[in-house]
Amino acid sequence: MSRPVGLAQTAPAHEHIAAVNLPPTIAIRDLTMRFGAGTADAVLAVDNVSLSLAPGEFVSLVGPSGCGKTTILNLLTGLLKEEADGDVRVLGRPPREGNPDIAYMLARDSLLPWRTALDNAAFGMEVRGLPRRERESRARDLLQQVGLGDFADKFPKALSHGMRQRCALARTFALDSPVLLMDEPFGALDAQTKLTLEDLLMQLWSAHRKTVVFVTHDLAEAIALSDRVIVMSARPGRIVADVAIDLPRPRDVRKLQTDHRFHDLYAKLWRLLEQGAAAHE
Amino acid sequence: MSKPFRITRARVPGHVVFIVALVALWEFLGARGVIDPTFAGRPSGIASYLWRGFITDRNLWNDLSYTLAAAAIAFVGGSLTAILAGLLFTMLPGLHRACEPYLSLLNAMPRIALVPLFLLWFGLGIGSKIAVAVSLTFFIVLAATVAGIRGVNSDHLVLSRALGATPGQIFFKVTLPSAVPVIFSGLRLGLVYALLGVVGAELIAAEHGLGQVLAYLQSTFDMDGVMALLLLLALLGLSITVAMNWIEKKLLVWQ
Repeated sequence: MSRPVGLAQTAPAHEHIAAVNLPPTIAIRDLTMRFGAGTADAVLAVDNVSLSLAPGEFVSLVGPSGCGKTTILNLLTGLLKEEADGDVRVLGRPPREGNPDIAYMLARDSLLPWRTALDNAAFGMEVRGLPRRERESRARDLLQQVGLGDFADKFPKALSHGMRQRCALARTFALDSPVLLMDEPFGALDAQTKLTLEDLLMQLWSAHRKTVVFVTHDLAEAIALSDRVIVMSARPGRIVADVAIDLPRPRDVRKLQTDHRFHDLYAKLWRLLEQGAAAHE
Repeated sequence: MSKPFRITRARVPGHVVFIVALVALWEFLGARGVIDPTFAGRPSGIASYLWRGFITDRNLWNDLSYTLAAAAIAFVGGSLTAILAGLLFTMLPGLHRACEPYLSLLNAMPRIALVPLFLLWFGLGIGSKIAVAVSLTFFIVLAATVAGIRGVNSDHLVLSRALGATPGQIFFKVTLPSAVPVIFSGLRLGLVYALLGVVGAELIAAEHGLGQVLAYLQSTFDMDGVMALLLLLALLGLSITVAMNWIEKKLLVWQ
């Protein structure tokens, strides 16, 4: 079994964080996961993955579908009840369902159609028991930040796809959780809307400074947004590479599209991704 | 289910012309003996029957109120128990699996066939009518409730669990509101069937009610009365549908 390249590159980063005396926000050590363990057709989903995120870091997981990106994310949320080998920590504690330190966002907006944009943006805070006045003023503030200030009283059916995902962003950031887990949040949007929302995410992230794990299969998106891009191989998911993205911040996602450094990184990561996909065919 | 009943304002004159022409033709052919009024009645006879029934003799009000009261009681009782049973079944799937074959068997039975039994159990009065109507409404609303609760979007559940929602919060904030449109379409159908059950049972045997009046008029060959009653029942069913559509529109603005 080949050791993932990423492990060698993650370790120094880990030491660096230890040196400034800040524990990693997310630490995954030697994670191996099998689905249907003990049965004849057990599937090795994640194979010996180690990974750590410093506070405020934006890290993307890219890889072919079925490489275990979403599995890792679901494990961090505590939604996954499968047995896992290895050690997983979020802010030093093992994952648990409904962890208030985590805000979670899916590919589909998951807005509740019977709630207005405002009540949807406030939904997470409502579930977590914030008083009405506080959650409404926060939700209003966040809707303003995502450009939906005038749509607070509209129901989701009256909003476009892009606007609905903006509303989902408002709901996610309104939670004020230090950790953000995003599972292809812009996967269902058209190319132009996607760029606009990526820019919006960058603005929100700069303003709120969360630790983000961003799962995507769009390499350009991963490079444009992240501090580091982790490339995973086809099933069983292993880390093929852990590449630091040294593009200066703040970034303008639209301007990056014509930036040669962006394209050099894209070419480099593309080759790694191809190797990862080929290795198991 | 049934489409919203709506006539656009522009079409009203067309409908009025058509109905007036139809009624005039019917009256004319009846007077000439082309259509035998003994079997089909005549518009003038139908109108005078309704005039007597509601304005001068006022005897139809009493029967109308018996029918409506039985349908309303059956609808409220049948729907409430059905919704509660539906909620219980979704909380206890094992109980649902155990009950399902028996419920399917009962639901497959032509409910009107229960009338003789219910007449013996609950008497000639309103009780037997309510029982028949409940036996129809209950199953319709139960099926809608179970379907509505099962139809909840799994993304909404995943998101709520990830946010840390308790089972109670998930039920009241996600599952139940998402089931309301489906439950409501079940209620609309359930109300129409409640009326059907009551009138059907009254036709077979009753002391009061529009169905009983209809059976009496038929047995005395009063075709004007029979036609008047049929018109009345059609209008009653239509008002129910219109009223339910209106409530649905007010209740489910988000749809």
